[in-house]
Amino acid sequence: MGRELTYAGAILEATSQAMSKSDQVVIMGQLVDYSSGVFGTTTGLVNQYGVERVRDFPVAENLMTQTALGMALNGFRPLIVHQRLDFMIYSLDAIANWLALWRFKSNGKTNLPVVIRAIVGKGWGQGPQHSKSLHSWFAHLPGLRVAIPATAYDAKGILLESLLGESPTIIIEGRSLFSMKEEVPEEMYRVRFGKAAIRKAGKDITLVALGMMVPIALRVAAELEKVGVEVEVIDLRTISPWDETAVLNSVQKTGRLVVADPAWKSFGVAGEIVTTIAERFRGEWKSRPRRITHPDSHTPMSMSLEKEYYPNELKLVEELQEMMKA
Amino acid sequence: MINNEWLSHQTIQSRGDYKEVRAEMVAPEIGFSLWRQMTRLRTVEQALHEEYHPADEMRCPIHFCIGQESIPAALSLLVQASDYLFSHHRSHGYFFAKGSPLKELFAEIYGKETGANGGKAGSQDISHHETRFYSGAILSGAVAIAAGVATGLKIRKSKEISIAGFGEGATDEGAFWETLNYAGKEQLPLLLVCENNRYATYSDQLKRQFNDNISERVKPFGIRSIKVFGNDSPLVYRTIEEGIKSIREGAGPLLVEAYTYRWNSHVGPEDDGKNEYRTSEEMNFWKRNCPIRLLENALKNANQWNQSDIDKAKKIIDQEIAECFRFAKESAFPAGVCWKELNEEDKTPLADQWLAEEQACTFDQNQSDAKLGPY
Ligand SMILES: Cc1ncc(C[n+]2csc(CCOP(=O)(O)OP(=O)(O)O)c2C)c(N)n1
Ligand SMILES: [Mg+2]
Repeated sequence: MGRELTYAGAILEATSQAMSKSDQVVIMGQLVDYSSGVFGTTTGLVNQYGVERVRDFPVAENLMTQTALGMALNGFRPLIVHQRLDFMIYSLDAIANWLALWRFKSNGKTNLPVVIRAIVGKGWGQGPQHSKSLHSWFAHLPGLRVAIPATAYDAKGILLESLLGESPTIIIEGRSLFSMKEEVPEEMYRVRFGKAAIRKAGKDITLVALGMMVPIALRVAAELEKVGVEVEVIDLRTISPWDETAVLNSVQKTGRLVVADPAWKSFGVAGEIVTTIAERFRGEWKSRPRRITHPDSHTPMSMSLEKEYYPNELKLVEELQEMMKA
Repeated sequence: MINNEWLSHQTIQSRGDYKEVRAEMVAPEIGFSLWRQMTRLRTVEQALHEEYHPADEMRCPIHFCIGQESIPAALSLLVQASDYLFSHHRSHGYFFAKGSPLKELFAEIYGKETGANGGKAGSQDISHHETRFYSGAILSGAVAIAAGVATGLKIRKSKEISIAGFGEGATDEGAFWETLNYAGKEQLPLLLVCENNRYATYSDQLKRQFNDNISERVKPFGIRSIKVFGNDSPLVYRTIEEGIKSIREGAGPLLVEAYTYRWNSHVGPEDDGKNEYRTSEEMNFWKRNCPIRLLENALKNANQWNQSDIDKAKKIIDQEIAECFRFAKESAFPAGVCWKELNEEDKTPLADQWLAEEQACTFDQNQSDAKLGPY
């Protein structure tokens, strides 16, 4: 058994390793240089790398993103951290009008390796302005890479791949995953974009899961195994680009597809995956494809409503069992 | 340096024609260069303006800068190749100021493969990475990016500076004031050049802002500032010269507010006069007080007007423009684009060099969610 790190610890290690390997890497965000360090993901970096490279930025998210863009143009590899994705919405102009299209506008000549970490709150009454996961918005834009790591191992590999890659990248991090531990190698390694992880093999149902739906999906698969249903759990890990081949191959085997996306249903990633597979799958569906998502509603604060709002194992088990009947 | 307390769009006209231009403010060769650069820019813009219709070969919005030549001309003599320059939508003057290749501007406007951006960007989004010139049509965005470049320059302790050119309309935007707050606090090597031409499209500055003194309002943010009559090219030159020098020496950000005026419609060659946002009296005042004409008079008064040099320079400009048109028109249109490649980089040289391939990971799903607190 190797060394274990939490999801937060893995992010911290990746950041520190990238910063020590390349002095082009700088980090910017609110409160990144205090000891609480954005839920432990930046703690101590300032002692090692100094305030010029660990920059507590004014509370001005749009400017922060434009600043990162300008720094990238000047040869840096900036990493931006948002304590909540919701705060980042002020930076949509910087992202949609500048960052995502810079390469295009330069006729494919200039790349801007800006990496944006966006944390999605869940639980303890985060409510409608502290819990949104807008990964489908970002994945809709050409020119951006979007990842949604579910495990500590992937959090480190994806962050390193992004910081030492050449493309503007948004990494969506589920706050509820931050304490989850796992074996994480000390060496610097990569998790490539567009390569899904088959977390559990199975022949009956293809269950594609994203971000914080991954542990739930795996628990559901274990539950259904007990009643003889073999679920194949695919953790997409990155959604722009996403691993169409892995999902298609699985569906070719199972004939059943369900996508668990921790976001709203309408116009979302789950719909995109189902559509793409429907276009490409030449076999026969054994059951119609399904989406398991949050309801099309903003997030409630109250504990009791939170429970109702977020999809849980019971809901998933039910849905998957129904698919087996069809 | 000069008493300019009276300066604002409200007062400029009421003082009568501007009489203060002094060729002696700058060396004779600078005076001539200012005249040549302004005339070159004016002639380019007039030629594009005339050619736009009915040829209809330039199929993109163009914001002409006729009447506003003195800032770009002064900058063209003062910026270094390694400085960064960011422009708003009215980009041609700044493209020109950075010494970016003019024929690539023409070809870009014509949507040709040989354009600065292979016809992907057009007039209001043009850039030329090799000469460190960038622009964009979203107001104030490029000002904020310029602060990012300046941040990098400051970290590297570089002598280069970052420059942003924009209009007074851009200062309605929050992004502009976010930039001031940060640039002032960080004392960035940043030159902000505001060409106050009074209008944002048709809308008068005083319809949008309580006052028209941007240069005053930036001071509490830690930004030094100065306002000038923007059509006095020797004054503009000296102001920017001193400004750039002070920024290179580490004095921090500076905003130059230059009061000037656009002759043409906001965009395109069509007349936008039906919106009745400005009077012909005002337009005539500014045409009489044209930056090129004011300098010409001043050069003549100072006995620095040499007709044969002038004629020679004009001839070279005409030849250059003819060559630019020829290049743009004869160049091929882009075709067979790979959209994916155009938008996405798939090479990762650093990651390839430094990162090991991933191994199988062993995730245990039977862990509870992180315990969240109030934050
Ligand atoms: C964010 C944004 N809002 C609106 C516009 C539309 N627009 C284009 S130019 C312009 C006026 C700009 O005025 P100013 O900044 O003074 O520059 P000028 O055109 O006078 O040179 C407006 C409102 C825009 N380009 N970007
Ligand atoms: Mg204006």
